[in-house]
Amino acid sequence: MALIELEKICKTYRSGNLHVPALVDLDLQVDTGEFTALAGPSGSGKTTALNLIGCIDQPTSGRLRIDGRNVADQTVPQLSDFRLYQIGFIFQSYNLIPVLTAEENAEFVLMLQGMRPEERQQRVRPLLERLGLGGLENRRPSDLSGGQQQRVAVARAMAARPKVILADEPTANLDSSTARELLELMRELNRDEGMTFLFSSHDPLVLEHAGRVVRLQDGHLVGDERKDG
Amino acid sequence: MDLLRLAWRNLWRNRRRTLLTVGAIGFSLLLIQTFHNLAIGSYRQMVNSGVRSGSGHIGIYAGDYALSREETLSYLPGELPRTITGLADVQQVVPRLYLPGLAQSSRESRGILLTGINPELERQINPFLKRIPDDRMIRGLDSRDALIGDRLMDELKLKPGQKLVITVQHRDGELAAELFRIRGVVRTGVKEVDHSLVMVGLNRAGRLAGIPGQVHELAVILHDSAVDRPPLKEVQALLPTRNDVRALSWEEAMPNLADAIKLDYASQKFIFAVILLIVSIGLINTLLMSVMERIREFGILIALGTRPARLRALIAVEALLLGAVGMTVGCALGSGATWLLIEYGLDLRWFITQELEFGGVVFDPILRARWDWPWMAGMGLLLMGICLLASLYPARKAARIEPARAMRHH
Amino acid sequence: MILWKLAFRNLRRNRRRTLLTLAAMVASSSLLILSLGVFSGMFVDMLASVTEQYSGHMVVAGKGYLDRREMHATMDQAQAVTEQASRLETFRGASPRLRSFGLLSLGDRTQPAEVLGIDPTREIQVTQLHRKLVDGRYLDPDEDHGIVLGVGLARKLRAEIGSELVFVTQAADGSIGNDLMTVRGLFDTGSVANDNGLALVPLHWLQETIALPDQLHEVAITLKDPLQAKPTAAVLAGRLDDRLEVRDWGQMLPEMAEVIASYGASTLILSMILYAAAGLGIVNTLYMSVMERTQEFGVLLAMGLHPAQVRRLVLLESTVLGVLAMVLGATLGFFLTLWMKTVGIDLSGSISSITYAGGTILPRLHAEFEFRNFWLPSLLLLVTAVLAGWLPARRAARLQPVEALRED
Repeated sequence: MALIELEKICKTYRSGNLHVPALVDLDLQVDTGEFTALAGPSGSGKTTALNLIGCIDQPTSGRLRIDGRNVADQTVPQLSDFRLYQIGFIFQSYNLIPVLTAEENAEFVLMLQGMRPEERQQRVRPLLERLGLGGLENRRPSDLSGGQQQRVAVARAMAARPKVILADEPTANLDSSTARELLELMRELNRDEGMTFLFSSHDPLVLEHAGRVVRLQDGHLVGDERKDG
Repeated sequence: MDLLRLAWRNLWRNRRRTLLTVGAIGFSLLLIQTFHNLAIGSYRQMVNSGVRSGSGHIGIYAGDYALSREETLSYLPGELPRTITGLADVQQVVPRLYLPGLAQSSRESRGILLTGINPELERQINPFLKRIPDDRMIRGLDSRDALIGDRLMDELKLKPGQKLVITVQHRDGELAAELFRIRGVVRTGVKEVDHSLVMVGLNRAGRLAGIPGQVHELAVILHDSAVDRPPLKEVQALLPTRNDVRALSWEEAMPNLADAIKLDYASQKFIFAVILLIVSIGLINTLLMSVMERIREFGILIALGTRPARLRALIAVEALLLGAVGMTVGCALGSGATWLLIEYGLDLRWFITQELEFGGVVFDPILRARWDWPWMAGMGLLLMGICLLASLYPARKAARIEPARAMRHH
Repeated sequence: MILWKLAFRNLRRNRRRTLLTLAAMVASSSLLILSLGVFSGMFVDMLASVTEQYSGHMVVAGKGYLDRREMHATMDQAQAVTEQASRLETFRGASPRLRSFGLLSLGDRTQPAEVLGIDPTREIQVTQLHRKLVDGRYLDPDEDHGIVLGVGLARKLRAEIGSELVFVTQAADGSIGNDLMTVRGLFDTGSVANDNGLALVPLHWLQETIALPDQLHEVAITLKDPLQAKPTAAVLAGRLDDRLEVRDWGQMLPEMAEVIASYGASTLILSMILYAAAGLGIVNTLYMSVMERTQEFGVLLAMGLHPAQVRRLVLLESTVLGVLAMVLGATLGFFLTLWMKTVGIDLSGSISSITYAGGTILPRLHAEFEFRNFWLPSLLLLVTAVLAGWLPARRAARLQPVEALRED
């Protein structure tokens, strides 16, 4: 059974009297361990798809199952917990919490889960080390470069070992060498830890690294190609 | 005009914040105006009932009698009551003679203040005598009838119709006693007074003390319309220059009442000041926030060639507009509340069931407000001034923005 | 735990805003505490003007005397009353007294006066008149013909220390009692009634003069805590024989007792008015801080923070603000009250004593400490802060993560 199953998903935004379709009858399955990119020009619906899968938005119609569970059946607290334990987010504009240090940001989800401090540190320190953030643990986001901030965001998303990490245009605000470095790192983590990654991006660099590229246009699925290796 | 329109639009960009700030300004103005109007209304009630049983709006005394209560400072009023009543503002002139003395029943004696009055005139203005039925009033200036404080009558173990002996000092130094009969009972609610009041006819009292025809006090009662501008000078001009007779305003003649009002109003003013202080801090906070969140925008404006002085003016105008809206809302609320307090009043009996004396006057338990338009307008303008003051620091901050840094600001 | 950390750091993030909000809250509560302290000071003066300068906190007398002060309603159980009273927990002093109303004359001047026969050594345990002397001295224990009177009375009689006064009154046997006495001292209490109409004379002298040997009208008692007078009076009444009755100051001065009792309500109203004004400011600040963090709340929600936790976070911020303001406000209020208590402001230049509810307010601003002047405003401030946090917190908790994230 697939980790993520989208079945005839539609999402329509209303703006005044205007109904704007963002996704139209989208069918998609993502299996555990994939490193998949949703590609398409802006407005193609890729961020919407990611938001739906991340349970921070609800589809207008259709069925969404994650890990065998129907998302529509979940209550608001259940959805919160689901995001807390099963999903990691990486945002285009990093969105670190400005009042917390790098390490605290990376530990944040674990703190919410109620993990003890020593355990958290054991989990997060090596991760930060591996992401090249050793020695920057106590800096606030405002004292970090864009690449460093995005790496902290990656650490935050990965620390809780979620089933899937959703990354919305993670490289959009980074220069190409930083972006390449980050992508390679994520690919490595994907291979070593078996973590599922789902991107939305139109950055060729991302598509180059992706194991599978799902193409969207005007809310329709227009292509789905898998690379080997 | 452009500036005004721009400021007005800026104000409503963050509608919730503007509404909350307008609410804070309006609410404080409501409090200040309503409490002030209620206060001056209730002071007016106190003064009205106080001066009618006391010195009058203007009291006429010999020497410093009003202060020293020195018995020998009595005088012959002559034609004064008639000439003063002739003034347009004057409703009534009431003569009184005050003689400290001793009242004795067959078993008890008490120190009293024997008050010689003109029953007919007194009845028209003294609120405590209005409640006494006609057949309980002193019959004439020479009669042996007496009105007596209810507590005093109790302590003397007397009843209406019974007799008592009153001893006062004759002007020649000897003690003089005379028999009176209780005709009616007076209750003022002021303990001291109810314990010691005996009223008799003016002529009878004067003859007893050996000073027939003299008075200690002429209480001048004014028409309502003249209460705010007592014709002190006009009255003074009618007084004979030869002896030491002078006209005093009720504030000078009844310092207890005047000071009670002064003290009460001072504590109100303190509360007003605290409210204004709190609102000012809140205003600075709001205006500062609105500037800080627009740093980027101001940076762009400066980069486009806006002069810092214009930015400062923009923020000042925004503050003034905020103040103007707040003032309008506040004045509307304050007027509404005042209207309610004039129509229905505030019933103190919710809190206190006893009769309450303050400054020698018994409170009317239903407080009623009174309009004070100039003061209300003044407070509204004061709040606008505070808005302008509160905008100085934020305005300076905006004018000092460096465009290059501001545009990087997030 | 993590919520606490976030709350604290968020408050520190916009320090200027937090400090300004805090300043408004601290100003309102500390100045409120100060003004309540001044009101308490006025009440203490008012109560003292009657109790400590005249009646004591409670009075024991023969049944019926206190209503009409009838000369013949005497008692003679001084010994028993004093003994029972001294066993009371908060007992401070008891003074047997005889009272007479009469005329005092000097030369060709005569004034009515209330003359109180006292035992000087006992009276000083009850009233403070001996501390209010402005001229001369108090009565000696073995004094025979001495008199101490109020300055107003002395002024009207033109009496000074050493003047010989004549006292005339009706004696209990129907005769006219009169005697000569020498002025020993003058007191100035600020209370109009006392200063203009009260005189103290030796008890045994008055007993002879009005022909009531060994008789008393009352025993005045003071307690360490005037607010305990009511229950204490009930206790004492139970221990005395039933020809006597006991009244506390609240029964003797019902209007003042009501004014003091209703003080709680006025405190509440005043606090609510001030805090309503301060509360609007807090709501505004918190709204601003929630609005500008909309995107941040979106992230928190996306990462799995429950809406209830988001609400708790904002409420925590307002509560922390409230607790801080409460502590600072109470501390500042304490020092302001202390300053007003020790230094105070003398108003005698601009106003005179004012009678109120049967007592006298002295022309001075001076504060007294009372516990409830602190806890009530402090508690209400905290409640205000939490309430003011409620709306912004609800708004933060209702944010839709997607929309919040899109916010810039």
